[in-house]
Amino acid sequence: MASLIKLENVTKHYGDFKALDGINLEIAEGEVVCVIGPSGSGKSTMIRCINLLEQYDKTGSITVDGVLVQKGSNLKTVRAEVGMVFQSFNLFPHLTILKNIMLAPMRTKGIFKADAEIKARELLAKVGISEQADKYPTQLSGGQQQRVAIARALAMEPKALLFDEPTSALDPEMVGEVLDVIKKLAETGVTMVVVTHEMGFARQVADRVIFMDEGNIVEQGTPREIFDNPKEKRTRNFLRAVLNH
Amino acid sequence: MYKPSVIKQFLISALLWMVWSGIAAAQTDGEDPIIVGANIGNVPWEFQDTDGAFIGFEIDLVTEIGARLNQDLEIINVPFNGLFAAVQSGRIDIAISSIGITEKRLQSVSFTQPYYDSDQSLTTVVGSGITNLNDLRGQVVAVDTGSTGDMWATENQEKYGFSEIRRYEGLAPAMLDVVIGRVKGYISDIPALLYYVKDKPNLAVVERIPTGGQYALMLGKSSSLTNDVNEIITDLKQEGFINQLHEKWFGAPADVGTSTVDVVPMPRPSSGLIFNFVETFLNMDVFMQTYPMLIAGLFTTIQLGALAIVAGLVLGLCLALVRLYANRILQIIVKAYIDVFRSIPLLVLLIIIFYALPFVGLSLSPFYAAAVALTLVSGAYTAEIFRAGIEAIPKGQFEASQALGLGYVHMMRDVILPQAIKIVIPPLTNNCINVIKDTALASVVAMPDLLKQATQAQAVAANPTPLIAAAVIYLMFLLPLVLWVSRLETKFKTGDR
Repeated sequence: MASLIKLENVTKHYGDFKALDGINLEIAEGEVVCVIGPSGSGKSTMIRCINLLEQYDKTGSITVDGVLVQKGSNLKTVRAEVGMVFQSFNLFPHLTILKNIMLAPMRTKGIFKADAEIKARELLAKVGISEQADKYPTQLSGGQQQRVAIARALAMEPKALLFDEPTSALDPEMVGEVLDVIKKLAETGVTMVVVTHEMGFARQVADRVIFMDEGNIVEQGTPREIFDNPKEKRTRNFLRAVLNH
Repeated sequence: MYKPSVIKQFLISALLWMVWSGIAAAQTDGEDPIIVGANIGNVPWEFQDTDGAFIGFEIDLVTEIGARLNQDLEIINVPFNGLFAAVQSGRIDIAISSIGITEKRLQSVSFTQPYYDSDQSLTTVVGSGITNLNDLRGQVVAVDTGSTGDMWATENQEKYGFSEIRRYEGLAPAMLDVVIGRVKGYISDIPALLYYVKDKPNLAVVERIPTGGQYALMLGKSSSLTNDVNEIITDLKQEGFINQLHEKWFGAPADVGTSTVDVVPMPRPSSGLIFNFVETFLNMDVFMQTYPMLIAGLFTTIQLGALAIVAGLVLGLCLALVRLYANRILQIIVKAYIDVFRSIPLLVLLIIIFYALPFVGLSLSPFYAAAVALTLVSGAYTAEIFRAGIEAIPKGQFEASQALGLGYVHMMRDVILPQAIKIVIPPLTNNCINVIKDTALASVVAMPDLLKQATQAQAVAANPTPLIAAAVIYLMFLLPLVLWVSRLETKFKTGDR
């Protein structure tokens, strides 16, 4: 299968601190990749470089569908093709749920309001919260808000979805409902990169698991390879720490 | 080691001297000095010499009167139209400034017998083509707020077809606008103007306007000084002292038969009104007479305020966006602009725009000069309010917009600004209130706003009721806004939707 997202020698400095240290990674179309690793290992930074919320160092390159990700006129195209779901949802608090979802397609794709609304209601049904369409974000629970955020990203019909720790800000009882939605999405064949601490979820949905530490990809493979038979000591230490508690 | 003790000794002796002289002054004074209010700059009656000392015909006169009363004098500078309220409230004992005796003024103040017969005059720039009153049809004329010239010009506006009467706070600013050409002529007391143009060949007094005014000292209605001062004036006339003053300041003795030479009776009001609070401060007759003027002034104030608020909002938003997102050089320029215009007093800026810019060829009408000054300053404040509002929006909102592929314009218009507006509404409304209040400063550039109209009405009626009425109108207009802002602030603090 052709690779949709391609990172070549991607490095990112914050001043003297090296957050990413020469990442090389190809993600195929339709692939579901879960990224795990200790906090501060560069997982979030890496996926935020893919849609240029973080500017990576000039020495490397990232392409999405063959288009170089850089400042300029192509950036909007790239961002329209790569949806993102944030840890803290980042819904627009002054707009209703429905309008949160309709805004970007109407503004960037010139879709008529009526069509955007039909599409938005479909997506809300898909993430299971049709009845909340006319409420405002703060009236919803965290799990519901995150499902709206997923619907909002899907409304742009992206080729790939980036998830930046989508369940980390949720109360434990709401984690399941959000993971269920992401699982269902994974089955539809959307390309996904999920930064997560949910090991069970990663084992279940991932085609490939990537373990990162100190700005590097330390080890990658199928969930079975990583979780049942990790080769690297750092991977084993990390898994022991997160699984045995 | 030697030096400090010298300084110490000096300080101690200075302190002792101050204390001693304070006690000495308190002992010799016995009673408070007589306070004289004068519109300094009104040549040749009261003005400053090159050392800053007050000199002039009337200064000499009151100084002599003070000496004969055996009392100290303190002369303070009060604008012409402020003299009436100052005398009525007792803040000053005697007002001088070539004040003409009128029936209306006699209703609320007292005058001594007159010592000068005057007329009004028209002053123009030589070669401007204006050589008499008839040439002023369709032109703007200058007067002093509430003066005899103001009253004459107002009564005769239709007859001579003046397009507008612009009201100034004294001779100097009015003459500045005559020279600039913003107004075509200045109608004011003839002696002052004859003296003023003496050494200015580009100006000429082209017409005498016979109004038959007589100047006298003005005192409070119930002042115990009035009779004593009037008797001293009688003595000074009989001794020829006042005629000597005339010769000193006008270069020739006064004509026989004028009030400078002859003793005349003290003017009395036709109906004997006594001071009372309601008649003075809440006079219904005066209010009804001046009400239309105040409403016209309010209308100008609202127009000016609205224009400055809207223009200031647009300017402020642009400045805030440049300050936050433009390149480094533009950011520095805008920051400098904001800092400068938040520091400069509005009044200073207004006077510079109105009186200084004409010298580089930019001559704005009072309305637009005030609008520009208010907008420039309001824009600087508004920019900071918007910037704070935008910076208060969480970073995630910007990131979510960008991740969705929204461009800068849509991000700002659809996501950031609608949220920022809610945060900035209370401080913006506060700024609007300040802009409306600051419109009152425009009265210094002869703009007929509410305050200007009120001071003029006050001087014409010689009664402070219009000022009280103006204060009430400002309150009725601004108090609801102030209350509304308080409510909004409480509401946003408690986090209601």
